[in-house]
Amino acid sequence: MFQGLANGFGIAFSLTNLTFALVGTLLGTIVGILPGLGPAATISLLLPLSFKIGSPVTSIIMMAGIFYGAMYGGSTTSILVNIPGEAASVVTCIDGYQMALKGRAGPALGIAAIGSFIAGTIGIIGLTFVAPPLAEFALKFGPPEYFALTLLGLLMATLLGGSSIVKGLIMVVLGLLLGSVGLDPISGAIRFTWGFFMLQEGVDFVTLAMGMFGIGEILINLEKELTTELVTRKITHLWPTLKDWAESKWAILRGSFIGFFIGILPGGGAVISSLVSYAVEKKFSKHPEEFGKGAIRGVAGPESANNSAASASFIPLLTLGIPGNASIAMIFAALLIQGVQPGPFLITEHPDVFWGVVASMYVGNVMLLILNLPMVGMWVQLLRVPYAILAPIIVLFCCIGVYSIRNTVFDIWVMGIFGVIGYFFRKVGMEPGPLILAFVLGPILERSLRQALLISAGSPFIFFSRPISGALMGFLILYILVQIVITLRKPRVGEN
Amino acid sequence: MREERKIFFVVIFCGLLFLPALGESTEKFPTKPIELVVPFAAGGSTDVLARLVAKFAPKYFDKPLVVINKPGGGGVTGTEGVVRSTPDGHTLYLGYGSGHDLVMPHFQKLPFDTFKDLIPVSRLSVHSVVLIIRADAPYKTMKEFVDWGKKKEQVTASVSTKAGSVDITFQAIGKTTGLKMVTVPFRGGAEAVTAIVGGQTDSGGNHPSEVISHIKAKRLIPIAVALEQRDSAIPDVPTFKELGYNVVTVGSVKGVAAPKGTPPEVIQYLSERFKKVCDDPEFVKAMKDIGQPVMYLGPTDFGKYLQAGFEEYGKLIKEFNIKLE
Repeated sequence: MFQGLANGFGIAFSLTNLTFALVGTLLGTIVGILPGLGPAATISLLLPLSFKIGSPVTSIIMMAGIFYGAMYGGSTTSILVNIPGEAASVVTCIDGYQMALKGRAGPALGIAAIGSFIAGTIGIIGLTFVAPPLAEFALKFGPPEYFALTLLGLLMATLLGGSSIVKGLIMVVLGLLLGSVGLDPISGAIRFTWGFFMLQEGVDFVTLAMGMFGIGEILINLEKELTTELVTRKITHLWPTLKDWAESKWAILRGSFIGFFIGILPGGGAVISSLVSYAVEKKFSKHPEEFGKGAIRGVAGPESANNSAASASFIPLLTLGIPGNASIAMIFAALLIQGVQPGPFLITEHPDVFWGVVASMYVGNVMLLILNLPMVGMWVQLLRVPYAILAPIIVLFCCIGVYSIRNTVFDIWVMGIFGVIGYFFRKVGMEPGPLILAFVLGPILERSLRQALLISAGSPFIFFSRPISGALMGFLILYILVQIVITLRKPRVGEN
Repeated sequence: MREERKIFFVVIFCGLLFLPALGESTEKFPTKPIELVVPFAAGGSTDVLARLVAKFAPKYFDKPLVVINKPGGGGVTGTEGVVRSTPDGHTLYLGYGSGHDLVMPHFQKLPFDTFKDLIPVSRLSVHSVVLIIRADAPYKTMKEFVDWGKKKEQVTASVSTKAGSVDITFQAIGKTTGLKMVTVPFRGGAEAVTAIVGGQTDSGGNHPSEVISHIKAKRLIPIAVALEQRDSAIPDVPTFKELGYNVVTVGSVKGVAAPKGTPPEVIQYLSERFKKVCDDPEFVKAMKDIGQPVMYLGPTDFGKYLQAGFEEYGKLIKEFNIKLE
């Protein structure tokens, strides 16, 4: 193994591969930052180019760089302008944007970059040493386990909505409803598409998020005086202080491990891991009331979790030949076209590809840290750009990004409609975060529930008889019971 | 007089504007890169096929082929885009013969007619439906599987999507063998493979390209292929017919189509070049490696083949009374 890794570093440190790792991570950071433009669309655009590069190792090093580089960049717009770059960064908006409003955008960006670096590296160490057994573990996750895990994620999502649980629940229900647009996953019936073929595959996540967060935020800001905008965005610190670091270090470590273990699961891993990480930080904190008002741990934990989840998602691909998300599927296709079959034999048949890519990820993470830290200052300066200039640019990038997903103007209209809806939600004080997360988790929940019941011939016992889902369901029920007991026992002081 | 001269120059100028256009029409096809529209997401088996074709195309085509993914509506959206494009041969649809061409029209009305609005150019490959089981399952052959399943309340099969080619084929397998076959739809072929590899279902239905690596790794065993003849991608696997079960479909056909109105000489140019790609031994080898058989057919034969496949699915759906609730 060490021999393999040593050879891998030999490959990764060749001038060509270093250059392409740099190109990949740089591109990844850029598309991560640009709202809407995602790593999957970028990799698909670059696929033809990758054949010209010739060597499969070099092209995969570049594509992998784009993928995990985008995870670094994804937090930037969440923090600065309250637009999540991808599903796993929705949680980052909550405290990240609050920090920016308080003039602490610098520390938020800085801790996100440092956390991403630590978590990404922990994820790669895991990928290096324990990949095969963990991949086998991930295979144990069938529909019942996904159902239990998603239910857990959904419970976390309802807890996110700051002040009012009722408002949080309303948003979750709306998110679940939106998630059911399109073909019924099990029977194939058409639901809520109003005759639009484009809606048969449902509303796209990026389209919804860009609308609800991006356009909605801009519409509401148009009401404010531009001058106040600049005052509230004054900058107090550029870098995280020692106190910030002391507060965040355990959150980063916890997030790294949560992200790694949940990220191995194909589909939804990164999103759920960021949610779980946020909930864990809130629970473990001595000051849970700070969460939602700019707690640095609320940024550090989830941002770490989604980065180690990104590293971990390479495990099913490289050891089993199972692509877990859209970007990884693209890398899977690139390998296939170059005559390399990802799967259990990859490590023996193409050790250069396996170890070369793994080693390049260590190098790439260092590159990303070096790239991102100096950029913090630059991004913070961006907040000084008058909103009248910044806003149209954001709208433009949102449009390009949304168009790039399916190459269709239809999605831009959908984004506009959700933008208006998002505006009204803000007017009545409803946060779109829980809605978006329920929208992502709802379809997984529905599908896995119905798949599990098909497999068990209708018996709900399946959720409790299998060890992993049984344990998760047990934990869920216990958690809810404890919450009920706590609420009942709490003396009702001064009801108002 | 001055007015007349002005008008004269304007007319001449306008005429000049049209000159390049005239020049272009006498130029031979293709005058610019040819777009291969894949109505599915990048990374899927149709996309990989298209990109392999595009990789080998420069040897035989006068302009490059560019793959464009337009996923949506199970393939309908991207295909509709091609149907509505200028019929000059520069916009082609790759994937002609997929589920939304042969199966979906039996359930819902599409915004175009699969046969009237598209001209077949070439068949490139056929993605057959193969019944797979886990290597450690208590049954190893079709007969053992059926005997085992008869004792059970139900037999589950993971399939890529509801009412797709795999799903219809598996419902037919259930009816023919007398098993109570419950198909569990997943979100695409890759997830369905993960489910059967993880032992979540009793059997799985997939295209060979999706499972070839797991077959090589001896995690999965292919039992039977639902084709008229054996699939050259997995030549050792018998057909259902050979085993005494009359389950024959065309699977998911992967061909190229052009929009209605494309000139015949352009169709001829294209089908000749696609044939050359399909005859390229390096292309054949690359296709074999990813588990996709090369099965070229020219425009006329391909058209007939698709029509027959379409009617075959219609018959199965009617015979087994398959409905979408």
